[in-house]
Amino acid sequence: MQPVTITLNGREVSGHPEMTILELARESGITIPTICNEPHLTSIGSCRLCLVENEQNGALLASCVTPIVPGMVINTESPRVMEHRRMIVKLMLASHPDSCLVCDKGNRCQLHQIASDLGIGLLELQRIPQTAAIEEVNPFIERDMSKCILCAKCVRACQELVVEGALDYFQRGFIARPATLNNSPLENSECTFCGVCVALCPTGSLMEKKRVYQGTTKNLVNTTCPYCGCGCSISLEVKDNYIVAARPGKVDTENEGTLCVKGSYGFDFIHSPDRLKKPLVKVNGAFQETSWEKALEETAEALNLIKEQYGPDSLAVLGAVKCTNEENYLLQKFARTVLGTNNIDNSSRLYNPATRLGLGTSIGFPGTTNCLEALEQSEVIVAIGTDPAASAPRVNYAIKRAVKLRGAKLILIDPRRTKLSSFAHLWLRPKVGTDLVLLNSMSRLIIDESLLDKEFVTRKTDNFDALPGALEKYSLEYAETLTGIKKEEIHSAARLYALADQAAIIYGTGITQHPGGTASVKALFNLALLTGNIWRNGGGIYALQRDNNGQGACDMGALPDFLPGYQSTEDLQAKKKFEEHWGVSLPANPGLTALEIMEQIKAGKIKGLYIVGENPVLSFPRSDFVTEALSSLDFLAVQDLFLTETARLAGVVLPAASFAEKEGTFTNFEGKTGRIRKAVAPAGECLPDWEIILRLANKMERPLPFSTIQQVMEEIEELVPLYEGYLDSEGKYQNEWGFWKRRSHRWHSLKGFPRFSTAEYTPPEKKINEDYPLTLLTEAVLYHFGTGTRSSRAWRLQQFSPRIFIRINEADAKKLGLSPLDKVRIISPVAELTAAVSITGALPEGIASLPASFPEAPATRLFDINLDTETKTPSLKACNVRIERIDDHE
Amino acid sequence: MSEETAKAAEKSFDYDRVETLLQEFLHKKGVMVPILQKIQAEFGYLPRPAMEYVAKRLRIPVSKVFGVATFYAQFHLHPRGKNIVRVCRGTACHVRGVSKVAEKMQEILGVGVGQTTEDMNFTYEEVACIGACGLAPVMMINDQTYGKLTPEKLKGILKNY
Repeated sequence: MQPVTITLNGREVSGHPEMTILELARESGITIPTICNEPHLTSIGSCRLCLVENEQNGALLASCVTPIVPGMVINTESPRVMEHRRMIVKLMLASHPDSCLVCDKGNRCQLHQIASDLGIGLLELQRIPQTAAIEEVNPFIERDMSKCILCAKCVRACQELVVEGALDYFQRGFIARPATLNNSPLENSECTFCGVCVALCPTGSLMEKKRVYQGTTKNLVNTTCPYCGCGCSISLEVKDNYIVAARPGKVDTENEGTLCVKGSYGFDFIHSPDRLKKPLVKVNGAFQETSWEKALEETAEALNLIKEQYGPDSLAVLGAVKCTNEENYLLQKFARTVLGTNNIDNSSRLYNPATRLGLGTSIGFPGTTNCLEALEQSEVIVAIGTDPAASAPRVNYAIKRAVKLRGAKLILIDPRRTKLSSFAHLWLRPKVGTDLVLLNSMSRLIIDESLLDKEFVTRKTDNFDALPGALEKYSLEYAETLTGIKKEEIHSAARLYALADQAAIIYGTGITQHPGGTASVKALFNLALLTGNIWRNGGGIYALQRDNNGQGACDMGALPDFLPGYQSTEDLQAKKKFEEHWGVSLPANPGLTALEIMEQIKAGKIKGLYIVGENPVLSFPRSDFVTEALSSLDFLAVQDLFLTETARLAGVVLPAASFAEKEGTFTNFEGKTGRIRKAVAPAGECLPDWEIILRLANKMERPLPFSTIQQVMEEIEELVPLYEGYLDSEGKYQNEWGFWKRRSHRWHSLKGFPRFSTAEYTPPEKKINEDYPLTLLTEAVLYHFGTGTRSSRAWRLQQFSPRIFIRINEADAKKLGLSPLDKVRIISPVAELTAAVSITGALPEGIASLPASFPEAPATRLFDINLDTETKTPSLKACNVRIERIDDHE
Repeated sequence: MSEETAKAAEKSFDYDRVETLLQEFLHKKGVMVPILQKIQAEFGYLPRPAMEYVAKRLRIPVSKVFGVATFYAQFHLHPRGKNIVRVCRGTACHVRGVSKVAEKMQEILGVGVGQTTEDMNFTYEEVACIGACGLAPVMMINDQTYGKLTPEKLKGILKNY
């Protein structure tokens, strides 16, 4: 397209034809003040501050919504423009309260800045301040609508970025205000407290709660959110070694200026009084504070002793999905070279191996094949076994944007009604555990009706011939009987997916935590391969990760069967490479997975365990068994931020620094690395995990050859092919390194093209026991995370969501005579818990759901240890329970 | 309406009536105002469940429907009475003592501005000027104008409705 040339302040400048005057001015280095304009929101021209004069006809134009036209002569600072601009600011100020000195927006207020830039001075207008009650019941956001200047950034953010639509204008004229339905408080609306509107608000109308009189923070630290696998960039406001607020990272970062409630308001566990400040050792059953020197000495001695007495394989390490890549790398190196064992695993074992194995054997790399930006190009999105609104909010935003703003069609496969259901074009509700049958029948239909991408299948894939035969039995009728979904619906889902030019698949723990999850992942992959969607721009498979560095911990080889970069411990060549580089011989025995480690402890084979940032007592099934096992150890050391349920069983507890107190990188579920940076000094005597590991290795007299984190990164770059080039020439992190690398990298012994693999459905062995008639699903909740160790110590999250609720269907509640808020006992064959009842229409009859993230009632406890034979993943998604009401007098 | 009665109304709300009205508008663009007008014609006001239902069917945030409904003066969010009493608060009426008339009227009906009597017979409203200043103080009930009002005259007038 021909560039358009206009005259801007007497100078000729050119831009592309779709640019607005404002955009071109910015590009040319001319500043035009605006309040309502935000590059990633639709321009609406409401504040009128960006007025410019068209010198040819004297018109005053709002430059943010006026496209450039050839030959235009624009003056951005003519006397007329300046006069009008000043008057507009004066009018805004005339209806704005006089509270600037006590307003916590302080010097960050855009209205204040612009007024002072324009030299407004005293107002000659009669002031008519708007009055409004300050809304401050919820613990996250304080709204003072008297300060609102109607820029509609909050409304647009809510509708265009997070697509929640909780806010819109209410009333009109002078009394118009952004408001929720019926102008009710935020907590009674659709609002999810993502905090995006707060970050965008130019004045003090929307503020974080409890920010009172902290002044303007000048120090902003860009880092990465420590919660879910989305790995959003966040910006921490730091003042006097204290984190005052968190807001979305810059717009050009991954999350496009969005965050969720945990990212915005979940950071203050860092300053929790519960933080461990000094190393602890257990003396006669009670913890005593001690020095690092003594604690490490005791740990080193105990580990060395066990190693000498029972051999290296009597030791094991549980690695850390919450720690950085560098720390995970060090930890596995510590296990393999200092301790001398392959017994290292991390808690992504609980949800990730199905992906690693399922995608690994089919495609050659272990995870998501595409990035979230591309998801928004999809025509059809299949979301199965996931409620991203709770577990991966950024994915949720991307799906909703694709559906709402780009017209994509969503096929939602979930027995529960989730927040995405109202966005779904098709919503299939399979019976729990029958996803594989549904997926296989879709594949069969695609083959039967010749909807497959024949050219792609013949030229770019392997092993197609095995597929039609294996799918023979998955007719629509068969699928209908097993899944309970009408065959017409399966039919239209399959056609919709197959006929789209670009279709993506997203799945989560609803797939991977079921027994046989690997087979379902393979079936999903078959679908993508059949339709040629695997490499397309808006296609691909998105495997959601629960923890922020679940991907990175595995990439770094904190796994029993893989060296860093998924180089198998049995691959002699890879082993030799590491042996040569590390100058030691690596252990030959195969390592044990997380749950096997527990079993072997119980069997007395493993005597010493070193845990970094994991809480297996709460996160593993059968906590009684895990507790017993851990208590029977000769030696247990735990590195953590808090004295967790697991740490209480330890002989030595080492206080670790949080994400905001150290440097490193996280790898998100897409495979992109995010940098974390030190924002505040570690609490008490806490040390970063990597430093603790290095010090411990020194104490054990097998020092690891590093003294800075930089050196660890350099070694990772050298030895881990996936992470090649993750530092730039100056040794700095590159943000998007891994993503494209990953696509071109093959880790598995995969020859040739992506392979179809057959996935056979095996019906569950056990018949439903009459004593346990309900199926209980574990689910993620938005306001808490993981085992709740951190989120329960973030006061806002805890205050807003302090209690655990079991959700049950109306009909089941009626049968059991339950009313909302009743206390009930949830009894499974292995354990029982208490929770309050919440009655919902979102679940089908016979299904209840319980969040997993409340430390006082860990849903995992209800599960027996039932390992997937291939992946050794314990089943943690669905179990059978019965519910009994607890009467008040009990 | 108290919260409980509102909730009860929501429970017993006849969504089919809204669905029937929606039929001709589905899959069209720019239909929000006509839909709301139809609903108001059917129910006499915009019941909250109806607005929520419209949002669900059109797949738009309910706050958006609410925003449109509160933008236009023609839409009413609360049930309106059979008869609409409009008392003029213009300058001429003010000078001739409409304040006392308005006060008395509210006292008789037992409702405030914009509210509706329990028996749903009257909705009381105040307007800026009716344009019959010669008759000040003046009010309208539906399309009928009543002028030269005094507080004493009101009861007699209301008897006709």
